Amino acid sequence: MAWAEVAVAATDAKPCRGDKAGAIIAAALALPGVTAHAESAPERGVVALKYLNYKDSQPGLDRIAVNAPSIYVLAPISPRWAVDGSLVSDSVSGATPRYHTAISGATPRMTDKRLAGNVQVTRYFERSNVAIGLASSNENDYNSKAGSLNASFSSDDNNTTWNVGLGYASDKIGSTNDATLHETKQTSELLLGVTQDWTANDLIQLNFTLNSGRGYFSDPYKSVDNRPRERDQAIALARWNHYFAGAGGALRSAYRFYRDTFGIKAHTLGAEWVQSVGRFTITPSLRLYTQNAAKFYFDPIYDPDVGAPYPPGYFTNPPQYSSADQRLAAFGAVTVGLQIGVNIGADWLVDLKAERYEQRTGWRVIGTGSPGLDPFQATWLQVGVEKRF
Amino acid sequence: MNSYGFGFEAMSSSCEIRLDGDDEHALAEAAERAIEEVRRIELKYSRYRDDSIVSRINAAAGRSEWVEVDAETASLLDFAGSLHALSDGLFDITSGVLRRAWDFRSGRVPEAAGLQALLPLIGWPQVEWSRVNAPDRRIRLPRAGMELDFGGFGKEYAADRAMATLAVAGLRHGFVNLGGDIRVLGARSDGGAWRFGIQHPRNAEGTIASVDMTEGALASSGDYERFFELDGRRYCHILDPRTGWPVSSWASVSVTAPACAAAGALSTIAMLKGDEALAFLATQGATYLAVDTALRTFHPELPAAQPFFSGEHE
Repeated sequence: MAWAEVAVAATDAKPCRGDKAGAIIAAALALPGVTAHAESAPERGVVALKYLNYKDSQPGLDRIAVNAPSIYVLAPISPRWAVDGSLVSDSVSGATPRYHTAISGATPRMTDKRLAGNVQVTRYFERSNVAIGLASSNENDYNSKAGSLNASFSSDDNNTTWNVGLGYASDKIGSTNDATLHETKQTSELLLGVTQDWTANDLIQLNFTLNSGRGYFSDPYKSVDNRPRERDQAIALARWNHYFAGAGGALRSAYRFYRDTFGIKAHTLGAEWVQSVGRFTITPSLRLYTQNAAKFYFDPIYDPDVGAPYPPGYFTNPPQYSSADQRLAAFGAVTVGLQIGVNIGADWLVDLKAERYEQRTGWRVIGTGSPGLDPFQATWLQVGVEKRF
Repeated sequence: MNSYGFGFEAMSSSCEIRLDGDDEHALAEAAERAIEEVRRIELKYSRYRDDSIVSRINAAAGRSEWVEVDAETASLLDFAGSLHALSDGLFDITSGVLRRAWDFRSGRVPEAAGLQALLPLIGWPQVEWSRVNAPDRRIRLPRAGMELDFGGFGKEYAADRAMATLAVAGLRHGFVNLGGDIRVLGARSDGGAWRFGIQHPRNAEGTIASVDMTEGALASSGDYERFFELDGRRYCHILDPRTGWPVSSWASVSVTAPACAAAGALSTIAMLKGDEALAFLATQGATYLAVDTALRTFHPELPAAQPFFSGEHE
């Protein structure tokens, strides 16, 4: 979680070219070979400590709470090499419904601890860089190991950057309720992307990701949860960052399209405004999300004879696949967030981030949402301190 | 760590590459490659060599055939076009023909008729240029006698490219100085800034201010570089392409910018802008020190934490 956020922060750190610069400076920087620092290792190291508190709930049930301290370290080894890595420790406690949003005595309380880490080594060349990464995540019922290879190539004028990424993950899944469950899942991923400095104040990025997973996708803690053993995903992401010189702020907007072989199609529209005010950077954000239900998701209408959690005809004419997981239903969601960063001197950065997420079936934008589900809310609060060396 | 200076002559200037480090041999090798890059640009864009791309373009002026250019030259031509547009026509790489009228060694003011005859040969918009992204990059000067001159940014561009050569070699601490056009590679090895003196426009041995830099570039234009005085008036080499006459508002303008090609263009355009120079520099986001002919200095207000221009006579 924290790692992903750090990674996103790193991608977003690329300022719009021409930031604060006039048109002549922008024109000079567009000359070939005038800026050489683009493809060299970061000059300074970074250590960042973050603490994340996450809580989710639905009416009448406080669900999961997560506390996750994390550390991120970036160490330039030479102008050619850099190493970065992170460690996060999650402690999870709370309850989730066994099916749909039903609250009953069967709703189990759980606690779990997760330790996850990753390390990445990057080699910088004149107009390109190549990074190899390893990641691992361990909790008592789920282990994941992953490797990645990413390369990026810049055009002579540094206005265009192409990205290629390959990833592979191997997961082992068990269950504290079922000691006999020993399942695995393998996932391969391919990413192709291009980032274009469109004008001095506009940056455009397009990413396509294909993801192919084989193995156990079911949730061992949910009732009547039996999902296909393969899931392929395709994701298209378009970003547009525009710097408003007059306002001294930047608008980052993004659209993401997602589809998978479970039958889910999802759209995400996001926007955030990054405003610098003296030593402060204030970033309000808004994200809108909508998806349809997976093919094998069933609404909370249960078998008239056996009752919940079984869908009608579950025993007489058993479906090949079924799931009552709220996350596979048709719904819409809204996330609002605010991040405040404060630079203290040249080397320290403190930041606070709060996000509020609300998911409702009635908020589905295309078509109608799944019936009979309670709304679902989540809150993220994160505090971080970063020191540059 | 030690500091090494590698001096050389190029582009009619005294030049130096200054590098901090321990391995003198490796630093010398990197400096040598950077100097080669400066000489490559000097040869490629020299007006004095018949085989340079500039000479080939100029030699074809007034003829019907096009001259094909390579990608680097195309980028520089586009840069020249941008500078022309962004300076309202003051920065014009076709204005070099005025050299035929102005001879700063002889110290004679040209005949008005002679200047007037040259003005029709000046004007970037006349140049037929297909732009860098066109499938075939080609250029044609429509009138016989027209000339391009890359001297307005060639040395600054070379300073940028030489710095890039050093950075690609993995070096971090030093700067490139091509006759006062400076591009910083990075801070001193102890993290401290380099201090550069700004030449006093009326005292060839003195400085009028200094600037501390750990990155970016510094370039100056002044009426002291090539000039003559006649009947109490100073005639300098910076010529207004619209009239053919020397500028007279500013003694010198020094600019810091992220790239030397930008700093050099900004300082030259500011010299040409006259009374509007300071407003122009402000809109371009440049940090500057302008000295008028009464030797009064002008620079933007800066937060105390960023003493870009500090001190007086060093």
